[in-house]
Amino acid sequence: MSTLLNGRTTQWQRLLARNSWVLGVWLLLGALIVWYSTLIPVFGQFQIVSISKNSLPLIYLAIGQAIIVIAGGIDLSLGSLLLLGNVLAARFMDEQSLGVVFLVAVGVIVGLALLNGLTGYVISISGVPDIVVTLATSYIWSGLALWILPSPGGGTAPEMRWLFTGSPSGIGGGYGLPILMIVVPSLLVYFVSRHTRTGLSLYAIGSHPVAARLAGLNVRQAKIVSYAIGGAMAGLAGLATVAITGTGDPRFSVGATATLNSVAAIVLGGVALTGGEGSVLGVVATAVTLIMLNPILTAMGIDSNSAQVIQGVLIAGVMMFGGLAILLRERRS
Amino acid sequence: MPDAPALLSTTSIAKSYGPVVALRSVDFTVRPGETHALLGANGAGKSTLVKILAGVQSADSGQVFVNGQPVDFPAPLDAMTAGIATVFQDPALIPHLTVSENLRLSSIAPAKFVEWLGWFDLADLDLNALVQELPLDTLRMVDLARAVARDPQVLLLDEITAALTADQAERVFALLAYWKGLGRSAVLITHRLAEVMRVCDRATILRDGRNVALIETASVNERQLVEAMLGAPVKPVAQESRETGNAGQGQNALEARGLTSRHLVQDVSFAVKSGEILGVVALEGQGQERLFELLSGERQPSAGEILVGGKSRHFRSPYDAVRDGVVLVPGDRLLALLPSLPVRENLAVPIFNHIRRWLGIPQDEPQRVAKAIDRLSIDTRAASQVRRLSGGNQQKVVIGRWLVAGFRTLLCFDPTRGIDIQTKREIYALLRELAANGAAILLYTSELAEIPLVCDRVIVIHAGRVVDEQAAATATESSLLTAAHGLEVAV
Repeated sequence: MSTLLNGRTTQWQRLLARNSWVLGVWLLLGALIVWYSTLIPVFGQFQIVSISKNSLPLIYLAIGQAIIVIAGGIDLSLGSLLLLGNVLAARFMDEQSLGVVFLVAVGVIVGLALLNGLTGYVISISGVPDIVVTLATSYIWSGLALWILPSPGGGTAPEMRWLFTGSPSGIGGGYGLPILMIVVPSLLVYFVSRHTRTGLSLYAIGSHPVAARLAGLNVRQAKIVSYAIGGAMAGLAGLATVAITGTGDPRFSVGATATLNSVAAIVLGGVALTGGEGSVLGVVATAVTLIMLNPILTAMGIDSNSAQVIQGVLIAGVMMFGGLAILLRERRS
Repeated sequence: MPDAPALLSTTSIAKSYGPVVALRSVDFTVRPGETHALLGANGAGKSTLVKILAGVQSADSGQVFVNGQPVDFPAPLDAMTAGIATVFQDPALIPHLTVSENLRLSSIAPAKFVEWLGWFDLADLDLNALVQELPLDTLRMVDLARAVARDPQVLLLDEITAALTADQAERVFALLAYWKGLGRSAVLITHRLAEVMRVCDRATILRDGRNVALIETASVNERQLVEAMLGAPVKPVAQESRETGNAGQGQNALEARGLTSRHLVQDVSFAVKSGEILGVVALEGQGQERLFELLSGERQPSAGEILVGGKSRHFRSPYDAVRDGVVLVPGDRLLALLPSLPVRENLAVPIFNHIRRWLGIPQDEPQRVAKAIDRLSIDTRAASQVRRLSGGNQQKVVIGRWLVAGFRTLLCFDPTRGIDIQTKREIYALLRELAANGAAILLYTSELAEIPLVCDRVIVIHAGRVVDEQAAATATESSLLTAAHGLEVAV
């Protein structure tokens, strides 16, 4: 009995040790929320809705980026895919029946998954580095987005807005739905990535591609799957964007910023850029953290133009802290 | 040979890597229920054959058969499906995943796997441990248990006992005996002949990319196996004119005293005098890589010391070693070169050390580089990018950069691997000339025939220790190979 208990405690300790980074970034987010609530006169439903719904696009994009980076790649085109999903939805959902809106939503997610899966295929057969291929496709998808919707406009159905924001008009509403839209896709991708053979093969090819191949895995297939998941998440991010803003916006800078933020979120969230390490759960917390910086700075009375400086300092600070923690742990052992 | 139906066989398998021929033509047959050894000296083609049978690489020509049916393995998975499970020298496990996650990836039931682990006394191994947290010997046995749990017809084991202790190796042999009792086959690639005599029924011997002998192990002894690996007594190669006049007359340029690094290098002592070429002979994986890493400052020894010119030196990095005149020509040429840069800049790299921080490049740099190119007769037609040169010319560039920079002790790790015979001769001549001019040279080579041609003395390393020293002039391939297998050399 005692050995069983002992075994269980070490299991718990190990679980903690292995997920300490994820735990750390969630604690950081919690502390940030508590601090934010003391900065402003009222902290209630409105703030929670606002933070959670505005975080949605970056959360989805960062989860997609995390999966691709875990599998040993990196995708600079995710932001452009978000643009593409956004303008496709805004253009083809505008003033349509609910059935059509639903079909367009499914079409955007599946279509972008296929499109980005194709990118993964091209990378794996050409041997051109991921960063180069996806840089190229980022321009292509942005161009396509402009072609579909030359200037901001279009719209979507109230039901779409309600699904992501909790309110048919996108204003006000309850926090239940936005939080559900954070939790459900995150847990789904988390489960697939850690508890299915397909998901584990993503970690495998990112961690040690040679060993993965020798162990009998189909490395190319896993690579394509990782990019397809990234594309699907970018499609979801595009849908969330149209639901939050109510329109389509094809500007290149929106996509480029989103891509960079997704990379920032995964790095902060503990995903190793070298592949094979990290968890999508940490990435969710850091994506929300990055989104929260703006309202916090506003509440502190700091010019929101300084937000980027603060964001940069935060990334450098957190990563240096992480490096220090690892160094100290190695010293001790 | 009795007509037992072949379980796994190959006909006329050939494979080349660019200009380097690894396999010329190999016919290889494994019967059901036998344990078969695949033997050969370094570079005989064993690893390449394993890679082809495991589906890691495809043969250029020839055919693999399983149960008499022609098969084609585009990927390792296809070989596994056909019933061939391979344990490679480096465990094919994913470091960032747990053992059970690795099993899951291979679709192997943990219960079956744990049952096989019991053979290694590892039945209580924590399957939730990350692979990267486990020691190498455990991983090798995990890898083996996984391969067996695939329930293959043939097990391919590449140097399975290399990282194992004697006790662990015993357990592997016990498993192999049981495996054979089940009527299954196994192929053992190993340098340890005692293992072959004990465990294997037959041995196929590869030499120079061909199968040269098929031996029933019951009918021979270890020495006869070595002879079969060497083949007909090697014709004496014409001795290059060599001046042994000043060899062994100089001071100790580089001396190792009790060098130790984990279990890889143990209590290694030797000295190289200026003007002398000391050969190092070892089978693959006997610690020679680590020894050269220690001498070149890449790693620090856990015990023992290195003396340069009689003074004890502590190399924290290759930079320290280079400053003491100890320079390395590494085994992997491309590791040493800057592949996209021209020959001239590659030759000049070490001079950067001499550049006085902010003052420009020394005035005589172009002349020194031109002199080196001339002296090495480097073919400069493709000089704009080193990676476009042939292997031999690349190797000349690696040696040439130290001619430009100046050195006292040259550490050469298998400098003629995969190089054509003409360039080899040039490199031998160059090494002799350098020694005649007072350089001390430590030469590890996997081609035993080079030893009497180039060296003055030779030391033999087995399992991390110096086990023998011979005068190079009288050393033969047979005497070297016997010593390298850890056997006593008959006098």
